Amino acid sequence: MSLEVARIKKFAEMSIVIMLILGVITLALAPATGHYRGFYLSVFLGSVIVVVSIIYLPIVHMKKSESAKDVAVPAMQSLWVSTSMGLGYVVTALAPYFKITLPVAVTLFIIGWIMLLYGTYALLRLSKEAKVPLAV
Amino acid sequence: MSQPNKEVRDVYGDYATLTVPPEELRSTLNIFMVYMGVLAVVAAIFAGSGLAQMYDPATTIQVALIGNAMLAIFGGLLAYIGGSTRANTYLLLRYPLGRIGAMIGSLVVSALPLIIWFAVETWLFGITVNVIYPGHPLTSIAAASAWGGILMMLTAYYGFRAIALLSYITVPFWYALIVIGFFAAVDISGGFSALWAARPEHIAPLGVGITYVFGLYASGCVITSDVARYGVKKWSGSIAWGLHVLVFMTVLLFTGAAMTILTGSPNVIVAIAKVGLGVGALLLAILGQWTTNDNNLWSASLAWINIVGKLNKRQWVIIIGIIGTAIAAVWGGVYGMSLDPFITFGTFLGYFIPPVGAALIADYYIISRYLLKRQYRFGPGTKYGVINVPGIIAIIAGGLAGWGATTFGLRLPTGVGTFDAIIVSFLLYLVLAVIMYKATGRIEVGEWIEKPTGF
Repeated sequence: MSLEVARIKKFAEMSIVIMLILGVITLALAPATGHYRGFYLSVFLGSVIVVVSIIYLPIVHMKKSESAKDVAVPAMQSLWVSTSMGLGYVVTALAPYFKITLPVAVTLFIIGWIMLLYGTYALLRLSKEAKVPLAV
Repeated sequence: MSQPNKEVRDVYGDYATLTVPPEELRSTLNIFMVYMGVLAVVAAIFAGSGLAQMYDPATTIQVALIGNAMLAIFGGLLAYIGGSTRANTYLLLRYPLGRIGAMIGSLVVSALPLIIWFAVETWLFGITVNVIYPGHPLTSIAAASAWGGILMMLTAYYGFRAIALLSYITVPFWYALIVIGFFAAVDISGGFSALWAARPEHIAPLGVGITYVFGLYASGCVITSDVARYGVKKWSGSIAWGLHVLVFMTVLLFTGAAMTILTGSPNVIVAIAKVGLGVGALLLAILGQWTTNDNNLWSASLAWINIVGKLNKRQWVIIIGIIGTAIAAVWGGVYGMSLDPFITFGTFLGYFIPPVGAALIADYYIISRYLLKRQYRFGPGTKYGVINVPGIIAIIAGGLAGWGATTFGLRLPTGVGTFDAIIVSFLLYLVLAVIMYKATGRIEVGEWIEKPTGF
């Protein structure tokens, strides 16, 4: 594996791990949301992030290809879903229906923004360095 | 199958008139994701609302499953042709319809319907904006449709990266939002018992609903090769198509129906607003429409290039966008929030588009393989018939049969208009092709030699 591909792979793995950690944090916050609606929201979105990251991390890790594209494509699929769920927290955490206590809602809102911004950065960087189009 | 000559330039973009080269092939998962992105439209949920006005929840699931199973099989067979030949729909139609016939087929399959789809989605965009910000002249359905259509057209033309990126990121959450919306509606409306107890005054016959479901995505079925041609395996597109239609389309239809039943609103956007999911969720719904409509513009322009052979994709985006926006604004102004135009459009699609796919299936799997002993080949210098006579007759007869069965109660084998249309055109193509081949030694008239541009 060339140095360039190894570097891209390392960045891809690190990005998925960051998303995984943030997903676990949102799952951990679920019991503190103060209402069953907020609890189910956090469990649902958090689970999607965690499951997708756990599935894709070994896929990316075990890639031994010489092509950056082969590493970037699965990593981008994982980051795509995680980033999207981050966007989900941004638009739903403060919605009246979920009745999440304000401190937790704000925390989820901030985590959502972090996931959205970092995920977008990671997607663009992988897309540019591996020359893989963002279009699904 | 032939690959395009390395010296042949893709002058129109997106291999509009060429086969996809090996280095551009994508994984089955990737193909699945593309189909899912296309399905992520508010229109699919609105269609569920249409079903809720006809059936109780249990029958809605039954109708959706049967209709979608038919779509999975029909689209899967067509996707395999794209995966095997690496050619898009408009190239493929050169065989079952002839070169000029393919132009007519492209008009029927994509070029005209996608303009209407663009108009319908733009109209739904107008409704969404009106729901979020009512009471302002610029947010009336007609006005919002007009400026929304223009914005979509411009983003498709210029390819604004920020909006493209945001739309792209929105797709997975869009599905999550639908699930959340469904459970939220159940939560605030009396639970699942209230949902299962609901039923309209009159239950429509199953055939009407199945035709409705099949007609909704029949156009997508026939053009499934446009995506499947990129699949790394011949069957990538078939698997991806079948899975996304059978599972996710069914879920979307049922969810739309359930939200309508539970909130009492035939407008799903209004339903989401009533549930209290927040303005952000509604804005995401808008973005979903935006992405899909950009796709509609690009697909329609692909079809028009294959018909006219002049202008490039971006120029066609502007032409089609202006026409579609004009239709949407008038539509919104004339019909207001009624779903009738959408339902009428969905039903209309069921008549003439599926027969085109049926003729392609009959030609690729049977006539070309066993009667003519030919393979689908594309590339400069390839000779095609100008008109494939059995193909043209079969799609006209099939379309009329489906229309007659649904509109006038014409008695045909299955009683499901769209399915009857497919059977009639499929069988008619086989019979006519055999008769004409035995009589004249070929099934086409005239000869068209492919140009270096692939046109």
